[in-house]
Amino acid sequence: MRRNCKTGELFCRNSDFNNDIIPNDHGKMLNNILELRIQGRPMADGPTPADKQKGLQLHLKKCIERVAKKRDKAAFESLFEHFAPLLRAYSFAREPGASLMADELAQVVLIKIWEKAHTYNSNKASVNTWVYTLARNSRIDLLRRNGRYTTEIDPEYLWQDLEDESADPFVSMQHKRTEKTISDAFEHLPPDQQQVIAKVYLEGKTHQESADELGLPLGTIKSRIRLALQKLQLVVRR
Amino acid sequence: MLVNHHPDSERLTAFSAGSMPLSQALCVSAHLEMCPDCRADLDSLNKLGSHVFNQMKPSRVSNDLKQSVFKQLNDTQTHDPVSNSPARNETGRVASGVPKCLFQFIDDDYDSLDWHWVSPSIRQANLCVDGNGAHVALLRIKPGGKASHHTHMGEEITMVLKGAFSDESGIFQQGDFVVRGSNDKHRPIATKDSECICLTVLDAPIQFTGYFSRWLNPLLRRAHP
Ligand SMILES: [Zn+2]
Repeated sequence: MRRNCKTGELFCRNSDFNNDIIPNDHGKMLNNILELRIQGRPMADGPTPADKQKGLQLHLKKCIERVAKKRDKAAFESLFEHFAPLLRAYSFAREPGASLMADELAQVVLIKIWEKAHTYNSNKASVNTWVYTLARNSRIDLLRRNGRYTTEIDPEYLWQDLEDESADPFVSMQHKRTEKTISDAFEHLPPDQQQVIAKVYLEGKTHQESADELGLPLGTIKSRIRLALQKLQLVVRR
Repeated sequence: MLVNHHPDSERLTAFSAGSMPLSQALCVSAHLEMCPDCRADLDSLNKLGSHVFNQMKPSRVSNDLKQSVFKQLNDTQTHDPVSNSPARNETGRVASGVPKCLFQFIDDDYDSLDWHWVSPSIRQANLCVDGNGAHVALLRIKPGGKASHHTHMGEEITMVLKGAFSDESGIFQQGDFVVRGSNDKHRPIATKDSECICLTVLDAPIQFTGYFSRWLNPLLRRAHP
């Protein structure tokens, strides 16, 4: 039996987040970056969560660059400390209790980070988004290999090379703006919309499975997603 | 290429989340290869995925895992293999516009597939059956060719890979992504100037209202080869 995860169990507040996943010297490095930033402009209450997040992103980006150019294992260790716990959580969200799979997913994705660091393009996405796409693709592949779903279709080429490889500074600015809009607006979404987004993205549930588990009509699931996307200003074209 | 019909945003969200049947993902992937607008939307949706991924409660990591990962790190820069697939006839597939996501089913160009006779103007090549029972096939309609009237038990997704067809609701061209629900009765006709090749995914077998009872019905095909 699969445990029904509620939004509250999957997500954590920003404060836990920073305590939990920045252990040892990773945290020290991050604080150094933040201190440099703080010296630039006086701040009454110390760094805000948004500033911490920004500092963290900058730190992760530098780590990726050091891994790509110098095969720097200390920088990789920082990435490991940040992402391994998230990758395990991401696996558990889909397959509660499957700890072997959680370790396998973390391992597969971290090795990919090490081997593909040179393909990361900071103009088009943050390190987080890049790792998320690696995690998503690897989880699909792992589920298939472990026989969690049977299919004759090889997912490997379905999610690859679909992103635009544009180095246009305007596009890069737009990517950053989209990321900021999401992080500002997501926590203000109504809980029922957050819950559906979590079901689809973290638990990997299809719209129909989400509808069944929440005891809602399929149309309600779809409209919650649509409303959330509107509020986050994603996919405004349609 | 002017793409007019796109997957809706909920479907694109499911693709970005990796939470849709692979047969459907195949159609969306083929569309994305041909549609820069949807690729841009996908980039944004991936950022939503990244946001919730990053908000998860972290799960404690054992030392064993760390050691095991570090043991596997090689010091040299690994060069990405240009293509992981055996490049048997990359040029044939690229020249005939076969989407990359279909390379796993198509060794050379479209002609290299095993096309079955369905009607004087229609051929069909079965690609696979997805875990949920959905049938994935290519349909090839001669210029001006007509399919028979049919309705669906489930949902039918059609991705136009080449040429164009029209039915009661409009014209659909290369790159267009069309979804038909179970209540739609329709009769596609290929445009006169070129043949039309479509990727189709069918949730449940079709019910026929015309006399071509074997049209696009892999179950029946198997029963009566
Ligand atoms: Zn599109």
